[in-house]
Amino acid sequence: MGMAEEIVTTQTYEKLCSDVLYSHESVRFVGLVNNKSDLLHSVQKQELDPLLDEDEIKISINYSLERWRKAQNLSFRLGNEKLTLTEYDNVTLISIPYDGKLLLISTQPTVHYHDVIQSIISAIPPWEK
Amino acid sequence: MENATISYIQLLREDLAIFRVVPEGPFPDYKAGQFLTLGMPVKSENNRIINRAYSIASNPENKKYFEFVIRWVRKPYPGRLTTAMFNAKEGDSIHWRKANGTLTINDKLPNGEPDTRRIVCIGGGTGLAPFVSMAQHLHEIGDKREIIVLHGASYVDELSYRERLTDLELESIDRGTDKWNFKYRAAISRPQEWLNRSWTGQVGRVENFLRARPGRVSALEELTGEKITKDNTMFYICGWQGTIDGTLEYLGNNEFVTERNKREDGSYEVKFESYG
Repeated sequence: MGMAEEIVTTQTYEKLCSDVLYSHESVRFVGLVNNKSDLLHSVQKQELDPLLDEDEIKISINYSLERWRKAQNLSFRLGNEKLTLTEYDNVTLISIPYDGKLLLISTQPTVHYHDVIQSIISAIPPWEK
Repeated sequence: MENATISYIQLLREDLAIFRVVPEGPFPDYKAGQFLTLGMPVKSENNRIINRAYSIASNPENKKYFEFVIRWVRKPYPGRLTTAMFNAKEGDSIHWRKANGTLTINDKLPNGEPDTRRIVCIGGGTGLAPFVSMAQHLHEIGDKREIIVLHGASYVDELSYRERLTDLELESIDRGTDKWNFKYRAAISRPQEWLNRSWTGQVGRVENFLRARPGRVSALEELTGEKITKDNTMFYICGWQGTIDGTLEYLGNNEFVTERNKREDGSYEVKFESYG
């Protein structure tokens, strides 16, 4: 990847994460990881205390990627994964495959997640060719 | 095809396992580095027997069972026989056909003299299997050549024979390299991933062991303590085509010749087998 292309790509990731973060008031955190666990970009609402420390974030990313990879093993029968949602007491985690990468989103708990998901999805530009 | 029984299944990961297969009747002879064709009836094929070749990881002196380390690749589609094997139970029947394959150890040079060159084995993923067989075979027969096994994997839990190969190296240290001269090293290609957090060894693809580093010799030459040349080293490679190509690229300068392009006098320094 050339430097110019890299800058454009980084700007794209920043905009994507930012757009999703502010797509709904309940979104706390947005990160984009590639399939090698590199966190390409992340943003979070500054006024909120993070729930996980740095090491725990790495574990959480690993679990999300592991689950995503395993889900792909049945895609030849079930089709491609579109979205996964996990509700915890303190947070709701949403992961959305995006252009060979995984968009990781956390929201406040006990929200009406159907509305949140609609807002998030409408903030994500189409990428499938 | 002949009949056999799956006697042992050890899942190392959801998609990686060691299988042992005990044939009915007399145990056949084979050479270290060869593969065996296995077959099982597959439900989705109306119970038709589907065959596939797998490299043997056990050594020919072991007459109790054949051992295999097998990866269950599922993308884009899962392999039919491998899926059946990963759904099998210990005690299930399986079929086999005689061992075959040319990735075997050269004991002699084309001129008939003993091949005393160092043996370097480079295995990517389950491409390690023939070299586990070779290492154990050379150990059993008391071979005095220097043997180096290099294994590449994405994750630490894919280093399927780390314990056995480390034990072989420790024995080499204990007994002295004049009696048994063996080294084992591994490379992890995704060191940044959480699962690999404890890894402090070589990183990147396994062929990186051969790459000269800025201001330093390659990790392989550091390990051997001398320059690797066609006159002192014979390479055996098994893995994806990318592993083969990468290794050949690093060997470079056209000094090294593969078995498929051997010189007029029959000499060569690289033997390989690719899959996928």
